[in-house]
Amino acid sequence: MTAAAAKSTAHSIVEASPRSRAVAGSLVILYAVITLLPMVWIVATAFKSQSDAIAYPPKVLFEPTLEGYVNLFTVRTRQTADFIAKLPPPSTWYDVIVRKHDMVIAGPSKVVPRFVNSLIIGFGSTFLAVFLGTLAAYAFSRFRIPLADDLLFFILSTRMMPPVAVAIPIYLMYRQLNLTDTRLGMILLYTAVNVSLAVWLLKGFIDEIPREYEEAALVDGYTRLQALRKVVLPQAVTGIAATAIFCLIFSWNEYAFAVLLTSGEAQTMPPFIPFIIGEGGQDWPAVAAATTLFVVPIVLFTVLLRKHLLRGITFGAVRK
Amino acid sequence: MSTIIHPDHAAMTGAGEVALSQPMKHVRGLSDRTIAWLFVAPTIALLLAINIFPLVWMIRLSFTNLNLSMSYLPLRFIGLDNFTDILGDEDVWFRLQTTARFVLWSVALEMVIGFGLALLIKRQFRGHSFWTTIILLPMMLSPAVVGNFWTLLLQPQIGPFNHFISLLTGVPASSFSMTGEVVLAPWTIVLVDTWMWTPYVMLICLAGLRSIPDYIYEAAEVDRASAWRQFWSITLPMTVPFLMLAVLFRAIENFKMFDMVNLLTSGGPGSTTELVSITLKRAAFEKWRTGYSSALAIILFVTVFGAANIYVKALNKVKQR
Amino acid sequence: MSDVSIPKGGLSRWFRRSRWETAAMTLIGGGIVMLVQPWSIDLYGYSFVTILTGTLGFTIVSHFPE
Repeated sequence: MTAAAAKSTAHSIVEASPRSRAVAGSLVILYAVITLLPMVWIVATAFKSQSDAIAYPPKVLFEPTLEGYVNLFTVRTRQTADFIAKLPPPSTWYDVIVRKHDMVIAGPSKVVPRFVNSLIIGFGSTFLAVFLGTLAAYAFSRFRIPLADDLLFFILSTRMMPPVAVAIPIYLMYRQLNLTDTRLGMILLYTAVNVSLAVWLLKGFIDEIPREYEEAALVDGYTRLQALRKVVLPQAVTGIAATAIFCLIFSWNEYAFAVLLTSGEAQTMPPFIPFIIGEGGQDWPAVAAATTLFVVPIVLFTVLLRKHLLRGITFGAVRK
Repeated sequence: MSTIIHPDHAAMTGAGEVALSQPMKHVRGLSDRTIAWLFVAPTIALLLAINIFPLVWMIRLSFTNLNLSMSYLPLRFIGLDNFTDILGDEDVWFRLQTTARFVLWSVALEMVIGFGLALLIKRQFRGHSFWTTIILLPMMLSPAVVGNFWTLLLQPQIGPFNHFISLLTGVPASSFSMTGEVVLAPWTIVLVDTWMWTPYVMLICLAGLRSIPDYIYEAAEVDRASAWRQFWSITLPMTVPFLMLAVLFRAIENFKMFDMVNLLTSGGPGSTTELVSITLKRAAFEKWRTGYSSALAIILFVTVFGAANIYVKALNKVKQR
Repeated sequence: MSDVSIPKGGLSRWFRRSRWETAAMTLIGGGIVMLVQPWSIDLYGYSFVTILTGTLGFTIVSHFPE
């Protein structure tokens, strides 16, 4: 975006007038604020007490509490006031919060294992997809492969298929192979979906590295593999990192496969979050807390990726 | 750079062996041909195992009466019965129409708002880069999380959305339910999808606008063409390939929409927001009619595959610029 | 007169790609419209065959020379 700013010259007659710029700016900011409100509301809800979260009318101002986060990480049981009075005084700040509601902590909730699943499956599939994708993209970029275009289309089309339709045969196959509800099964599946994006994106990045560098290295007596490792890869590092983040975001956010193919062991965060239940329905502060924790890495990644987003969403076709 | 619409001749005729484009004499180590195959093979093998093999299996199942909840029944091959069932079934047809209405309205709204935003952002006001990043956030979120937190926002009593509307229009906040009413629910999924995906369209439109060289506008300025004429005769025609790309991709994505809507309305009330993916999920994973749902899945596969062909053509058109 | 602009003979003209691709894409697009239109269930019934024909056709004609 900064590159484009530099491109248009200051004296150009197509340059917008200061007034039209100000109008454009305020309209865009208005849209940005409106679009941001739902997210701000969720982050705020995470700091509400259970009763503030379901207040009617909804509360804009409230007393912040960490109840939502405590509820997210713990399982609690309701006790009589007598029982709680007899207990030794609360030893931690979260005990204090829980006992205010006549409850005691019975143990940790499932959120940590689910988060760990998300991390393992996300990083596992990203690593595999980027590894396989880099090799394939290099081959497609530098060598003449018969029917390369058909192969590339085939690779891309696998990503575009409806996930529910893909899940049907995968479900049957995984049942035979004992891969349902396993991390390995999910890693393999997400790798297959991600590898198509990785090949297309990385091919774009590698195409941009001039061949002359490698060819000079080959003349100097490097083997192909050495040239790849010492010349091409260092130059493709930004592209590989951007691709990896895209793959990670996909696996992190994926819901359809996760909800249809996992139920416990290998369940990731997206199918877990909507079913954080409190007494009498969804525990909204806890759900909001989980959503906030889940979304924070994505916001960071978006900021990191902003220069490469366009490439990522068009499979490398649009490069600016 | 080779693109899909211009496959090099060697690949076309099939005579092209794997070869370096420029002959290189003194390369040591593995031959280029071996390396090319070694590098491509794992990816192809993975896709064959995870995509193609299951697909072929599913095609076989689509000719059977398999029902996983009644697996004691003998497996019978029933030919094309599943396909004729689906293609004569009014219910499935209605679900496809619901899907089409959702696709049509959401893509139309996203295009209009997204293109408008792109035109504004192109003016490069102060801080446009920061605000653009803010605007992009919704499309990076998990559709499942989005569907889930919008159910809170849209709750008639405890959610802020209805109160916001009542502030603007004076309609009592608890008098309507965005996700619970037959008239409103289809618009609700359009609204949330538009909220989420307008940034996607905006980003692509912005790239289109930036691909138009300044000198064309300067020439138009010299010819004293009005801003209105400049828009219709320069801006719009020159961004069409980008617009096509956005329309096609959003249409394909929304045609197979499952996650966000499943969490927001799960098809209800009644079946007013039951998109075809939700129908498929119910047939396959609730009624366990595997043979039948395989046939429906194949119909959706072929549709998306056909549309993907057109999409890749649009991609290449943009790539050539 | 228009034949003059095409250098090669009749056969290569028939196997020109762009024309066939447009036809196949029209078939795919038409099939998708048939699949989702709200007017005729008969059209809906034939939609899948149309899309399938278009898609297979596109795969074949996209290998014709330019």
